[in-house]
Amino acid sequence: MQIPQDLIETAKLKLKSVQSEAEFFQLRSQYLGKKSFVISSFAELKSLDPDSKVVAAKELNILKSKLNHLFEVALEGMQAKTDVSLLDTTLPADPYFVGAEHPIAEISQRVINYFTPLNYQVFSGNEIETDFFNFEALNFPANHPARQMHDTFYLNAGKKSEYLLRTHTSNSQIHAMLREPLPLYMLSPGRVYRCDSDTTHLPMFTQIEGLVVDEDVNFGDLKGIVINFLEYFFNEKMEVRFRPSYFPFTEPSAEVDIKFGTNGWLEVLGCGMVHPNVLKGCNIDTQKYRGFAFGMGIERLAMLYYGVDDIRDFYASNLDFLNQFSS
Amino acid sequence: MKVQYSFLKDYLSTDLSQVKLTDVFTKVGFECESDGLIIDFDITPNRGDVLSLRGLQREFQAQQSKVFKDKLQYKKLTFHKDKTIINKIDKSGCGNYQLMLVRGLHSVKALDKKKRNFLTAAGVPLIHPFVDLGNYVMLEMGTPMHVFDFDHLELPLNILFPVSKKTSFQAIGGDTKIVESSSLTIQDQKGIQAIAGIIGGHETSVSKSTKSIAVEAAFFHPNKIANQARKYGLATDASHRFERGVDPELQQRALARFLFLLKEIAQYDSIGCYEGSSAKLKPRAISLSVERFNNFSGLLLSPKKIKLFLETLGFTSMPTRTAHLKFQVPSHRFDMELEEDLYEEILRCYGYDNIPINPPKSGPVAKVIDHSVSAKLKGGLVFGGFQELMHMPFVSTETFHELNSNKWIPAELSNPINENEPLMRGSLFGSLFSAINLNVKKGHSAIKFFEHGNVFHKVKNDFAQESHISGLIYFHESQKTWSDKSFQYDLYSLKAEVLKLLETLRVKSIQLVPNASATIFTANAMDILIGKNKIGMLGEINLTSTQKLIKNPAFGFEIYPEKISTKSSDVKLKPVSKFPSSSRDLNILISQSHSYAEIETVLLNSKIKFLHSLALANTFEGKGIPEGSISMTLRFIFQSPSKSLQEFEINESMDHAFSLLNKALKAKIRS
Repeated sequence: MQIPQDLIETAKLKLKSVQSEAEFFQLRSQYLGKKSFVISSFAELKSLDPDSKVVAAKELNILKSKLNHLFEVALEGMQAKTDVSLLDTTLPADPYFVGAEHPIAEISQRVINYFTPLNYQVFSGNEIETDFFNFEALNFPANHPARQMHDTFYLNAGKKSEYLLRTHTSNSQIHAMLREPLPLYMLSPGRVYRCDSDTTHLPMFTQIEGLVVDEDVNFGDLKGIVINFLEYFFNEKMEVRFRPSYFPFTEPSAEVDIKFGTNGWLEVLGCGMVHPNVLKGCNIDTQKYRGFAFGMGIERLAMLYYGVDDIRDFYASNLDFLNQFSS
Repeated sequence: MKVQYSFLKDYLSTDLSQVKLTDVFTKVGFECESDGLIIDFDITPNRGDVLSLRGLQREFQAQQSKVFKDKLQYKKLTFHKDKTIINKIDKSGCGNYQLMLVRGLHSVKALDKKKRNFLTAAGVPLIHPFVDLGNYVMLEMGTPMHVFDFDHLELPLNILFPVSKKTSFQAIGGDTKIVESSSLTIQDQKGIQAIAGIIGGHETSVSKSTKSIAVEAAFFHPNKIANQARKYGLATDASHRFERGVDPELQQRALARFLFLLKEIAQYDSIGCYEGSSAKLKPRAISLSVERFNNFSGLLLSPKKIKLFLETLGFTSMPTRTAHLKFQVPSHRFDMELEEDLYEEILRCYGYDNIPINPPKSGPVAKVIDHSVSAKLKGGLVFGGFQELMHMPFVSTETFHELNSNKWIPAELSNPINENEPLMRGSLFGSLFSAINLNVKKGHSAIKFFEHGNVFHKVKNDFAQESHISGLIYFHESQKTWSDKSFQYDLYSLKAEVLKLLETLRVKSIQLVPNASATIFTANAMDILIGKNKIGMLGEINLTSTQKLIKNPAFGFEIYPEKISTKSSDVKLKPVSKFPSSSRDLNILISQSHSYAEIETVLLNSKIKFLHSLALANTFEGKGIPEGSISMTLRFIFQSPSKSLQEFEINESMDHAFSLLNKALKAKIRS
């Protein structure tokens, strides 16, 4: 007697596509009904010789029992489903809150995420700082006109009057250069302050600066990392322009512009080779080491990235605005 | 500096369009913006030498590899030393001083229209033809000039710092200024007639009746002018240039130019040119190693090319005996001190965009700095449905003190942008309360906010900065679903939220200890402790410290991430029992004067055999419960690591538990 090898497998497959009880019973009758292969084969056992009869009967019984089990389990499953009272699953979910990071925090993290695999360490630093770390050590001599580029908030500090709100995150770089071993690859993210307020400026904003002090770094290395970072950040090949500028703590200094949409060139970043006076002030041998630094305003990047027109929107705590960043 | 495109184009003898011309200047470091037909040059503070047409011309020609040629017309003048005209000069403040006396002026007319339009476009007001001419020459050549009414001066002049401390002086326009002893002044025999390089005096200013003038052209040292104008609340075209550095070799030429143009607008009887005795500035020289430059820039430039670039900018190549190059710095460049300053000039000429790009380099393996506490807490809050906010840290005096649980001394700004908010925040809650009000007004009724930022306070003569993460939960309307299920958020929901947050950090032994004294919270508040270390607070918000829109209970927390150490948070695995656990409930009656924490302490600090965990299953007060007592159902879970527990073993442990409660807290069995 020939017993099909795939009988169980085909039964399983067919059971999976069963949609109703009627279909189920029809299928069961195909496999276990009077006219089914298994049941009708029992009738044919008579015609076999005694030895073959014993073997075939055993195989048929196993098959029948497997099929019975298969259909019993399937039926239980079907009945379990139909026992549950049917719900309208399209009704709304219970109320839930969707939280989100602030867009400025998110953009800051996006920047940091580029640099951490390159082993840049992150130092956040002091927001209330002394004149020395904010200006002097960064080659801004007292009374120098360059200080007028930074409208500075000062603090009442009793006898000492040199405390201020940092005007850039470069103060962290001085702390790190004085403290950390070389070579140094670092990022300094954080809030900075200038007494200035309009649609494109706020008295507080967020900066991230990067600093590398190593042997044999040159202007081409600075250009390389800046361009690569910008392409990562905006996730596209970018047209990038470096043009000479002035920062007291870098020499040469450059502003970096990108071609962005239909807006033409937009300034996104400042950078340069670290001024030798800054390195010397941090006891770094300028014959052996050179450095480069770059810094960017996170609000500006966020405005470009998300298409926000008014910088004040970021700090207005308006859920109608902020909730859009959660999706 | 603003210049009309048409004027500049003629001056530079170029056909470039306005867009192309601005592009040329932007690429060499002078960013320009066009406002109609006027180009506004953003000249950085190190480049005072470009604050003139002459300076722009020099940069433009260098860009075309042409050496600068002065195109201005004038006839050379001869200057005499005469102590009856210029007597004493303080050489620490004044490098040179010239005075040109022009007498018997008549037939005076205004500057021609082209020059007047040029001045107006540059933002220089038209005042008087002689003053306007001085300003015009300043914009042409870069050296400021001052025109005195000669008939009101009593010569000789002295250029000195004031001796007496509080000398008053009436400036042009009539304002009286108290002259600082650090300000260099131009004094005649009557007193101070000008603050050098900043502003002239009212008494000697030119007017319609002026018949004779004394025109001053001088070099004042930048470090003696820097920041002086600000002290008088002034920012003049002259001070702007002097504090950045004016070419000390231009003054006599500028007076010659003034006289040349004066003939276009007036006639005069006689002139006399005088100079005070002065020490000339020493020429500066800087050496340059070609090899070092090429390493620095990543280029391979020849010495010849480097010389060519620098010479077009006015540097003079000097002979040297070493392998290095040496250049004399032109007198107009005050920003040149170091070899690297020359590098910038070479690279500007070469073009920053032409410098080859290297692939990004990475640093050595970074020392691990753990920023994970804040990041994990923030991640947990976002997942818990909190929206992050960010605010300015400036607060009013009232807000600071209302939220000042720690009795901190505030950090106060001496120049706040808003005088109503002179203090740095000592808590993040002030802004969060305002944010709730704002959003309730906008119709949001269920709010979960958090903020991560620094708070500040003064410590003796120094300042402290602490990182806080603070959150608020507020339901303006009760939250009901379509199926009538309602969500009650209360103090215990907040406890769950905060504990869940902290436990994801694997922080062990968190204790919540009642603290009824924090001003931000009502008496229903707790300190969050790890051992003895306070890492935060949580509780019901004290509504008197919020603003009026908040009408329902609000809940809040603050956590100090810098105070949480994750060092001990590594997972230490304990063996897991394979044997079944058993649960038993114990109904007790206990005085309401005891807190649940006391029950926990009694039970968990005593070694009850096989006790695996303890929970509060139910509490009940009211009918059948004596006054002042409360009924509690405590659920004990017992488990052994090595066997299935027998009934008698569990009963023994339960008896032990009850006897402990009875002894310590006079608990009774509730039948």
